[in-house]
Amino acid sequence: MFENILIPVSSEFYSKKILERSVFLAERFKSTINLVYIIEEKTLHQTDKISDSFRTHYNRLETSNDIIKKSRLRVDNIILNDAKFFLKNKEIPFKEKIVEGEFSNVVKRELDENNYDLVLMGFEKGCILNYRLLDEVNAPIWIESEGEGRSILAVCSNLAPNQKVPEFSVKLSKDLGWDLHMLYVIDMGDSVEVDETGQRSDRKSEKDLIFIGENFVEKMGEKGVNVRLVKGSLEKETVKAAEDIGANLVIVGREQKKKNIFGLPVKNVKKKMAEKCRYSILFVN
Amino acid sequence: MSEDDNFSKGMDTLLSHRDVFFIALAFSIVAIFYLLPSPDGLTHNGQVMIGILFMAAILWITEPIPLAVTGLMIMIAQPMLGVIPAVDVFSSFGNQAVFFLIGAFIISGAIEKHGLHRRMAFKFLSHFEKNPRIFTLGIMFSCALLSFVMPEHGVAALFLPIIVSILIAMKLVPRQSNFGKISMLCVAYGCSIGSLGTLIGGARNPLTIGVLSDIGITVTFFDWMKYSMPVVFIALPLVWLVLQFSFPIEIKDVTMAKKEIDNQLAIAGKMGRSEVLVLVILVFTVLLWIFFSSFPYLGLAVIAILGGILLFLTGCISWKDVEKRVPWGIILLYGGAITLGMGMQSTGAGEWIAHLLFNTIGVSPHLVILGLIVFTILLTNAMSNIGAVAILLPIGIAISTEIPGISPLFASMTIALSGGLAFMLVIATPGNAITYSSGYFSTRDLFKAGSVSNIICILVIFTVAVVYWKGILGL
Repeated sequence: MFENILIPVSSEFYSKKILERSVFLAERFKSTINLVYIIEEKTLHQTDKISDSFRTHYNRLETSNDIIKKSRLRVDNIILNDAKFFLKNKEIPFKEKIVEGEFSNVVKRELDENNYDLVLMGFEKGCILNYRLLDEVNAPIWIESEGEGRSILAVCSNLAPNQKVPEFSVKLSKDLGWDLHMLYVIDMGDSVEVDETGQRSDRKSEKDLIFIGENFVEKMGEKGVNVRLVKGSLEKETVKAAEDIGANLVIVGREQKKKNIFGLPVKNVKKKMAEKCRYSILFVN
Repeated sequence: MSEDDNFSKGMDTLLSHRDVFFIALAFSIVAIFYLLPSPDGLTHNGQVMIGILFMAAILWITEPIPLAVTGLMIMIAQPMLGVIPAVDVFSSFGNQAVFFLIGAFIISGAIEKHGLHRRMAFKFLSHFEKNPRIFTLGIMFSCALLSFVMPEHGVAALFLPIIVSILIAMKLVPRQSNFGKISMLCVAYGCSIGSLGTLIGGARNPLTIGVLSDIGITVTFFDWMKYSMPVVFIALPLVWLVLQFSFPIEIKDVTMAKKEIDNQLAIAGKMGRSEVLVLVILVFTVLLWIFFSSFPYLGLAVIAILGGILLFLTGCISWKDVEKRVPWGIILLYGGAITLGMGMQSTGAGEWIAHLLFNTIGVSPHLVILGLIVFTILLTNAMSNIGAVAILLPIGIAISTEIPGISPLFASMTIALSGGLAFMLVIATPGNAITYSSGYFSTRDLFKAGSVSNIICILVIFTVAVVYWKGILGL
């Protein structure tokens, strides 16, 4: 399922939990782990720009090189050391490289240039993360959190095409041996249906949306998957359900940006989820 | 990619739409002030000067062009708009504070060239290895002490690799280690607080004495220390305590830090001849500044230049080193800042603003002092600290002439010291940006610790000003 795992680590955030998870997945799926350490160029440029009248070009260059040197030292002494610990006595191919750039751009470039089938990364509120990344790439993105457990919550809704999530979740739960719980959220905050191609319909009545949801539940039931149908805000219901079942991983699909009553897009649902949910999230586009 | 390419990547681009907008806004404001009729009590030249002040504030806050270029624009705007003749504007460069700055930068360049600052940093730190808390206190004091003899940004840049090496040796992960957070914040805040201590720490200090000398008030090196040191030594431990409460330290021992420091000291070896010479010249210069910078002795600039020349005569520094390490931009920034103050005073604009403020907040001296401190700290968090001080000094001096009990020196010291305390935002001062680049703290951590530390420092400056400056020194 995941032959090539990309682990982008920003100079702004690192958690050894990401490496631990990658080794766990690599063992199960016989994958290669590719670690890319990204020295955030924004911090380098910010330091330069703010210092430009106070410090000479030479001084700023020295500081810039110091930052890069220390970042490399950190990779060697902390991250690779952790990797060595987790990979001990395991025959898992591991590659690493250090690049300078903007996190989301580097991830996109890596995905364009290589055949990765999973991006595994950490997250902390306040890190430099361009949330468009979550919408713009085709590979699944796993945002690892500190949670423990062996169950998956797969989330479908009227705001998503619900094509990949059901299939993907069933397969992953089988491969990992984790329990699968599926949720279908009827989000009346944006009462449209998103079709298989990702197109939004006109506004629909509550009755119509419940009907669509019940159809989905029935279809999944035929495949032997129980789905809980709920009505409410997509992100709130997801967080609530994840807490109820103690989910370790929440799988979310290609849901659209919610729009408010004036038709203007509101804060990205994925961003809200990543910030609110205390469990790992797997975004499947 | 060469190092130079790497350095300039992303910097040499055309102005963005945002930059063009703010430049246009700044110019428009000057034009509006030039064209509008003047209100009662304000001359046309005074009104144009206020327009130039707003232009400077907008450009220094939003930084569409380098800060130094804004300094140059302030200088040429005044003769171009007929406010002050060119000869008067450029004569402000003859102020001895300019040459003091040049001399101080040459000395600081020699310290950096021979790694004396690095050795001093490790020596200081080696006395604070008892436990993690004491170690962070050591970082803060070491940064402050070094900021007494060299510019604060240079000290922050020096401590960045030192502390990051130690944190890496201790295997502490950025953002997750509170010890890492406190250590880096101690560098940022230690440098800022230390820079208040002497005239060398920050360019806003010579700017203040330059503006004061224009109105006939002389402040010597020792005078400055006499006024500022109580603020430094009260604020340092208090801000350190704020950091301890904000981020409880998770580690118990600093053996690895000790090893790293010992290792670095061993690598540095014994002091070389040049290093000893630089140290001797530094001590000699500082002693001269303390004891002989007042009238009728040598003066600040003569001593600074003497120190610089001694470094050349002993071969400790070459002109190439000066080109590498003296930030000429700051001299231009200084020039703009001092002419701004001069223009505000000579056109009566400062006085007019002061009158306007009285009508709003009244004439209670304590309220005015508190207002000056709070406003300066807010402004210095939003823009370069020399810019904030340059904008507020003429207004503060004008206010002081109107309120009994507040002297121009008192108001200037209040603004100058408050202007160095930019704790809350990464963009506030190069020291914050440099330490932020280590990755060990987030912008949220900086704001959390910085806002509380700023409140503490407001109280410290207010108390020192009222009790010590006014009550004991009779300022």
